[in-house]
Amino acid sequence: MTSSNEVELADRISRRRVLGTTFAAVAFLAVQVVARPVLRSDGYGASGWRAYAWPFNSALLLLLLLPIGGYVWGRGVRALVNDEVSRSNSKSATAAAFWVAMCVALLVYLFAPSVGISARAATYLVVTPSVGVALLVFAWLESRALRDG
Amino acid sequence: MGDQLDNRLREERIRRGLTQAQLAESIGVSRKTINTVENGIFVPSTVLALRLAKALGTTVEALFQLR
Repeated sequence: MTSSNEVELADRISRRRVLGTTFAAVAFLAVQVVARPVLRSDGYGASGWRAYAWPFNSALLLLLLLPIGGYVWGRGVRALVNDEVSRSNSKSATAAAFWVAMCVALLVYLFAPSVGISARAATYLVVTPSVGVALLVFAWLESRALRDG
Repeated sequence: MGDQLDNRLREERIRRGLTQAQLAESIGVSRKTINTVENGIFVPSTVLALRLAKALGTTVEALFQLR
């Protein structure tokens, strides 16, 4: 048995998570499109903290897909937020990201000889859209799950 | 898979005068779970189907039918 407060709180947290995940994904992708920190030839993202910002951000964003966190709300609320539906949505989002990663990796393999791409840039090209797609798909599936209808 | 399964969860819940939140609370799941099952978006696990049926005083077969 769960309390009504826990159910309501879990509902609010789930809705906030949809907004937060969408915002994080859009911001992450926007920064990559505008700044292109790894692909620039002027050495902008090649050294210093900028060299670590992208992998750190990517890893941090991927954590949003895991059923962890929310320790301040207690075990009951955490279980409700990361319920059967959310775990299934997380798996679907991960699967979508896997296919994006595979497609981009194959394209990179095909075009790498003619473009001359570094291992670092290739990794960036594969991981960035995969992280973005994983988060956006997760946010969309969660938003659909929360929609009354 | 979800499109092959019909369910009468919403009808049974309303017949007993329960809101989604009240049903969710009684079986210890989120309102989101009840909402997705009712809308046919999510196919519940066997455990969840059994808990739903027990909470509504009915059987799994009465709640879920293959199309």
